Amino acid sequence: MGETGQTVIEAEGLGIRFSANRGRRRSLREVLVGARRGPGPRSAFWPVRGASFRIRRGECVGIVGRNGTGKSTLLKLIAGVLIPDEGSVEVHGRVAPLLELRAGFNGRLTGRENIHLVGSLHGMGPGDIQARFDEIVDFADLRGGSVDTPVRHYSSGMKVRLGFALVTRLDHPILLVDEVLAVGDEEFRAKCYAAIDGMLAQGRTMVLVSHSEADLRRFCSRGLYLKDGGLALDDGIDAVLGAYQADRCADPAEHGDAEKGTGGGDRAA
Amino acid sequence: MASRALAVWRNRRVVGLLVRRDLKVRYQNSILGYAWSMLEPLAMAGVYFFVFGLVFDTDRGVPGGGDAPGGYPLFLISGLLPWLWFAQSLGQAPAALISHSKLITTMRMPREIFPVQAVAAKFVDYLLTWPVLLVFVLALGGRTSAEGLLVWLPLAIAVQLVLSLGMTLLLATVNVLVRDVERFVRILNRVLFYGSAIIIPSALVLESDRFPAWFVALFQFNPLLGIFKMHHAVWYPADAPGPLVLSTSIGGAVLVLAVGYATFRRLETSVLKEL
Repeated sequence: MGETGQTVIEAEGLGIRFSANRGRRRSLREVLVGARRGPGPRSAFWPVRGASFRIRRGECVGIVGRNGTGKSTLLKLIAGVLIPDEGSVEVHGRVAPLLELRAGFNGRLTGRENIHLVGSLHGMGPGDIQARFDEIVDFADLRGGSVDTPVRHYSSGMKVRLGFALVTRLDHPILLVDEVLAVGDEEFRAKCYAAIDGMLAQGRTMVLVSHSEADLRRFCSRGLYLKDGGLALDDGIDAVLGAYQADRCADPAEHGDAEKGTGGGDRAA
Repeated sequence: MASRALAVWRNRRVVGLLVRRDLKVRYQNSILGYAWSMLEPLAMAGVYFFVFGLVFDTDRGVPGGGDAPGGYPLFLISGLLPWLWFAQSLGQAPAALISHSKLITTMRMPREIFPVQAVAAKFVDYLLTWPVLLVFVLALGGRTSAEGLLVWLPLAIAVQLVLSLGMTLLLATVNVLVRDVERFVRILNRVLFYGSAIIIPSALVLESDRFPAWFVALFQFNPLLGIFKMHHAVWYPADAPGPLVLSTSIGGAVLVLAVGYATFRRLETSVLKEL
């Protein structure tokens, strides 16, 4: 236990299939009609397929790729909140998810009650929460008694800060981060960076999804480049960002497109 | 299935936390919150007593005769309080997964936790209605028996828990994928209320010759009939369910749980993608 170089995340031929009309609840009529026709091959695509990699303890790995190439999906597969359709992913150790920072908060409870609730959901004991309570409130910058007002009165910034403060106080050895370093003002962002630096210095493992090249270069030593539904390159972060930039320049259709590209993943890498 | 049940058991602390959260939100730590939550069943009881007890004179159908201890008012209350438990479970069932979508898509935990938690929270709400029931029992002179307290009450609760869990697993799962579920549930709630002998003594249907045989058979195949006959039998021994009603009730509840859990497991992968 605790030795650097030990594999903590191991993905083997990992793949997941989404249907094209995902995210839209169908009416009963549509379901019945659709079932008779059978699922057409057009209606499914693989945001991630055939991805194999190992991440060792203490590594910080950045996931790079265009919008809609399955970066967040891959992170969720690692977090265990999506079940793969192919292959497997094994994670050794508890995960601190910086994915959706407001997860678990209840608007009608106070900040204090929510810290106890969400902290416990993440597996902190009552003693841990008590010991870190002031630290969390300080970090989230909940001044002037707002910790005792219901969370529904918080600004979205306050909620996100509280979520970040809580999850970064966890002792879990694996940290999954999805685009959340962009939250808050300059001052808060500096605190976030310091918190992440501190955790990496303790030898924790981190997987980061970000569009910010600066963030990726700052934290990561290694990158995974996702392209066309597969893992195109697994190399040092500079090489990966270089390949990504080269592809962006080579493909003029890419410029100015924000949400397209979700349908292009039928080919396995 | 055993390993999944074990996983939920290992996460019982999380279930407890979520149940306590629901109670806190519902009652806001106040006596007034509790009073509000009891106002609905009491108002319902008052209305039904007026309509069925006074206007339509249902007293003649009360098990054990109109002068059985407690009379029609206690019959109403002892049916309405567990009905409220069922109706709220059914009403909340479609939301059991959707309302926790952020949590489910962020934190890894056995997803069964959320239906189990929804059922447990409503059960605790039901237990909290007991003080009110006991007030009515004392005021109306209701009487129970050893058989009522040791057989019918625990059995009614156990069967209702099994049915609620199955129902919640099924509806919560399907509701993530199909959007008509909530509407369907509202209709079902209303139909089951009048179709399950909650405020109507079941003898008025079972021992009457006004209904065709197929209707009486159908009436007895509703698992809720047995559950509510058991709830009533705690105070009215004459309402104890016979072997047929008892077996459709237990069998129906177990069947709903089996179908609900099978659906949940089969669709879990798709549900996670959609949340």
